[in-house]
Amino acid sequence: MIKQRKKRNCPFTEAGIIYIDFKDEKLLKKYLTEQGKIIPRHTSGASAKMQRQLARAVKRARHLALIPFVTDFTR
Amino acid sequence: MAIYETVVILDSLLPAKEIDDAVDRFSQIITENGGTIRKVDKWGKRRLAYEIQKKQYGFYVAIEFEGEGNIPKALQSEYNYTDPVLRYLTYRYDKHQLKAMAKAAKMQASLEVASTAAEAPAETPAPEAVEEKTEAPAAESAVEETPVEETAAKSETEVTEEAGAEEENAAEAPAEEASTEEEKND
Repeated sequence: MIKQRKKRNCPFTEAGIIYIDFKDEKLLKKYLTEQGKIIPRHTSGASAKMQRQLARAVKRARHLALIPFVTDFTR
Repeated sequence: MAIYETVVILDSLLPAKEIDDAVDRFSQIITENGGTIRKVDKWGKRRLAYEIQKKQYGFYVAIEFEGEGNIPKALQSEYNYTDPVLRYLTYRYDKHQLKAMAKAAKMQASLEVASTAAEAPAETPAPEAVEEKTEAPAAESAVEETPVEETAAKSETEVTEEAGAEEENAAEAPAEEASTEEEKND
C-alpha cells in the first residue's frame, strides 16, 4: 500500500498573512528548528510562494542578529 | 521612485547624542540624494542574537525613505566610513510588502469611514476616501517592477555566505541524530 501523506494547508494563507516581515522574530521562530534551521515546507506545509518569502525574511533577520544563524546545544 | 528601508545597528555604548547625530547624518544623505524620509524608527537597545565585533548589544535604528537607486549606494559608503555601525541592511519594499501596506491602509481607511459614517449617516464621503487611499499604493507598485534590486541582492549574498560558513559546523549534529533514529526504527 502506498502511504497517503496527510494534506497540509499553508499556515500563512490560512492566517491571512500576505507578507512575512523579518522584524517579526516570534513568527519566524515558529518556522525554525531548535538549531535555527529553516523548517522544510513538506513539514510546515507552507506554499512555495510563502516559503520563498519566509526564507528571505529569515536570512534578513539573521543578518541583523535578530535570530541566530546556529544555536549549539551541549550534550 | 521606490520605497526603501535601511536598518542600522549602532554600538550601544555610544552616547545618546552621538546616536542622534549619526541618524541625522544618514537622513541628510538621503535628502541630499533626492530622497524623502517617510519614517525614522528607533527600536532602541537590543540584545544581539550573536556577537558582532565582540559586542552583545546593539542600538537599532530603522529609516524608511522614498527615492532612487543611488541612495542605497551612498548610504553604504557612509556606513562603511562610520565606525560604530556594526551591521546594516538596506532593502527595497517588494510587491508583497507593498500589497500588505496597501491592505493595511485600506483597512485603516475603512475603519475611519465606519467611524465617520456612524457619526453622520451620509454615505457620500465613504467611497471617495477608500478610492484615494487604494489608488496611491497601486501606482507605486507599478513603478516597483523596475529592477533596482542591487542592494537587496548584495546584502542577501553576504548573508548566505555567512550562513553557509556557520552551517557547516552544525551539519555534524543532525547527521548523528539521523543515524541513531534509524537504529531505533530497526
